[in-house]
Amino acid sequence: MAELGDDGGARVEIERASDSSGAPVVAVSGELDISNAGELEEVIISVAEAAPERLVFDLARLRFIDSAGLAVLLRATRAATEVRLRDPSPAVRRLVELTGLADVLSVEP
Amino acid sequence: MSAPQRAQRFFAREKRPGVLDLTGVMGTTHATLGFEVRASAANRSFAVYAENPLPTDRRSRIESNSAFSDLHYALYIGRSQRSADLLVTNVSKLPIEGTHAAEVVPFGTAKFTLVVAPKGSLGGVFFRSLPWIIAVAGVLMTLAGALLTDRLVRRRERAERLATVLDRVAAENREMYREQRSISQTLQHALLPEKMPELRGAQVSARYVPAGAGVDVGGDWYDVVPLDDGRVFMIIGDVSGHGLRAATTMALLRHAALAYAAENPAPDGVLGKLSQFVGADHDYFATVLCTLLDIDGHGLTVASAGHMAPLVIDEAGAEYVAMTPGPALGVMRASQSRYRGATVSVRPSATVLAFTDGLVERRGEVLDVGLARLRNLALQQRLSLDDLLATLARKLTSEEHTDDTAILGIQWQS
Repeated sequence: MAELGDDGGARVEIERASDSSGAPVVAVSGELDISNAGELEEVIISVAEAAPERLVFDLARLRFIDSAGLAVLLRATRAATEVRLRDPSPAVRRLVELTGLADVLSVEP
Repeated sequence: MSAPQRAQRFFAREKRPGVLDLTGVMGTTHATLGFEVRASAANRSFAVYAENPLPTDRRSRIESNSAFSDLHYALYIGRSQRSADLLVTNVSKLPIEGTHAAEVVPFGTAKFTLVVAPKGSLGGVFFRSLPWIIAVAGVLMTLAGALLTDRLVRRRERAERLATVLDRVAAENREMYREQRSISQTLQHALLPEKMPELRGAQVSARYVPAGAGVDVGGDWYDVVPLDDGRVFMIIGDVSGHGLRAATTMALLRHAALAYAAENPAPDGVLGKLSQFVGADHDYFATVLCTLLDIDGHGLTVASAGHMAPLVIDEAGAEYVAMTPGPALGVMRASQSRYRGATVSVRPSATVLAFTDGLVERRGEVLDVGLARLRNLALQQRLSLDDLLATLARKLTSEEHTDDTAILGIQWQS
């Protein structure tokens, strides 16, 4: 059953950090769907201002993603030359592979 | 006459509920087209009226789109080609003369007349372009419906913001929400095929369940087209997101797919052409499943762009067609996208189900769990096709769904 926020939508938490090479890392946890995908989009837009070579999404604690959420990850390819998805759960990985997004986003490991 | 006065006059005419009604073209310098829809909810009926401005000089802004670049077209409301009834065109001199084709297409209570001519003088090319006649008309009509829905959603959102300030109107607001949802559903039905075609040797049925949480138009669609040679082309797709953008993208893809299928219905070829049509701007993506059914030969060929394989059910069991999906549309450039058709034969009285992700996706579980749940539920049923689809829609979707669900089924008659 969905974990619902106060407004009835799914709950997502987005945190920004950098890895050892200085590349931005955006950690997305909870559930990313049509009700909150815009929040991630705004974070990506602000990250894109620095024109990073590489952008990493840490998805280890992302439990659910829908097609609106996947579309935001796809659009992130316009913000950086290389976009990586780190540690997606089997559920998220399955959708990334089915839709062919794995061909344009590097999934690690 | 002001917009409220026009609305009042329009409402005064006798209307059927659940039908999208159109005014004629109103005004000259700032021409508009009015829409009205009536629906019933909670023991009362209500009506909504909206007006859309027509493009300045009626010149279309979609003419640069490659899909329409080979054609001159003019769309009129009604059966005439009078300049007063012109809605949109991409030519400067009307009426269109020389080699042309005119098609009258019903929409709601109104009729549209679409006149199309080739831009060059190549008659052969023109007749190959004829499928686009239907494509252009379909896109424009879907846009009209989507614009209206978008407007209704915006209006509700404004009312909701007010309602948070005024507690006492909250109950009224909830009621309005239900009503507008009913309108949105009415419109969604207006955008999808009104009824499924009659087939020789097989029965076809479809269900659409809108998302429980919103009133927006969704991006799911399906079409079933019987071909002259007895085969049947079937397509189901899902554009990421909701709202006007998803609905307009859906309209373009849907009608482009029908036009490509009219030229050559091979599923891998249709997906390849669609992927050229869409490109890879990474703005959105769409998953699409194309199926070509050989009813007499008891077989089907299916190709997927990031979409789940169809389920085949017969006396022996239920299995998903083994296939390798290519990338969803909009993800990769066409030159890097490869689509392969998988051909399987089916037993007499087999049922084939195609569906969008709302039917199988659940939070916190891998897609395969949902696919297994659908398979097991379909196996337990020994129902008519209509009852099977109704049961699946009831048991596998709920009010909490944030995603639309479309189910398309075809059953061979033994």
